[in-house]
Amino acid sequence: MKMKVLPPTLRKNNRYLTLDIRTKEPFSKDDLVLVVWDACIRLYGEMETSNFNLWIMRTYVLDDRNDCLHMKAILRCQRSYEDKVRSALCCITKFNGKEIAISTIGLSGTISSSIEKFI
Amino acid sequence: MIYYDLNLKGSTYQNDYNLIKQANQLGWNYLNLLYSPDDYFNALDYKDKLVEDSYDISQNTTEIGMGIYIYDSNPNEIRKITNKFRNKADFISVFGGKNEINRVVLENRHIDVLSRPYYRRNDCGINHVLSKEALKNQVAIELSFRDVLTNFLSYRSKVLSHFRDIIQLQRKFKFPLIISTSSEDVFDIRSPRDIASFFRQLGLSDDELENVFYTTPKSIVDFNEHRREYIFEGVKIVKKEDKVD
Repeated sequence: MKMKVLPPTLRKNNRYLTLDIRTKEPFSKDDLVLVVWDACIRLYGEMETSNFNLWIMRTYVLDDRNDCLHMKAILRCQRSYEDKVRSALCCITKFNGKEIAISTIGLSGTISSSIEKFI
Repeated sequence: MIYYDLNLKGSTYQNDYNLIKQANQLGWNYLNLLYSPDDYFNALDYKDKLVEDSYDISQNTTEIGMGIYIYDSNPNEIRKITNKFRNKADFISVFGGKNEINRVVLENRHIDVLSRPYYRRNDCGINHVLSKEALKNQVAIELSFRDVLTNFLSYRSKVLSHFRDIIQLQRKFKFPLIISTSSEDVFDIRSPRDIASFFRQLGLSDDELENVFYTTPKSIVDFNEHRREYIFEGVKIVKKEDKVD
């Protein structure tokens, strides 16, 4: 039997970060998930990262640049941990030998508004 | 908030253009490209074109400045290069790290910024004596975010520890402190808000962040615009048309 969904008052409050990702080589969504978790665990450790409630909601591969491969993604995190997540993400430089740079370009309360504003 | 980055590594026209374009998209308002003393005059040749081209791409208006960085282990050489370039360059930054270099730079009021005094050291490179010198001579101390990016694990935590020590000294002695990205290409640069949130995690308050990103860098840039008018400590040449009755 399917579990009943929690009432809104008991649910966790989320925020959605829009990420701007620049890489030299093609980068898959699975790699992105790993790199986000790796960055947070490296900077804050397992205990603190467990509060972040991270989830990659959407990824978009863009074809608008010549100097690097360009992607955008929407990352869910828990409310009041946005600063910690974005500071962990900005410390990423390499993953599996691939050069990568991630900047947070937007912060929204819903996925739809983050798509509308920043994608 | 307005964000100043006083340390971007300039190299070629194309690389500088890409760097400015990326920085502009991420929300930086003032960018200062630094060159070695040998490359500085070549860069000045294409500065106008770079500024013109950057106006075409700008979503928000980004100002561009140029200056030199000095990387030398000999304090006398640093003094010579500073004296040679002070009237030619708008901005002079010196890479620190060694005790003698840190001391010489902070005692020299012709230098604008001491960059990375903690570089390859076991301590932060600054003590109470040097802090007072930095305040007296108004030489800013620069924390480079690139050092966080290029170091990992224990080395990164040591760099963060040095940052904390310098911030602690700054709170007591009030010397000018700035934060820069020291980016060389588009993969090094990050959005100013990301860097601000990183340093907020290190303990900087919102007011302190405004000082390191805006107030202090702006005062350095503004002072350098009028530096030639200050002929002696406390003496400034005032033009007739500037005189207020």
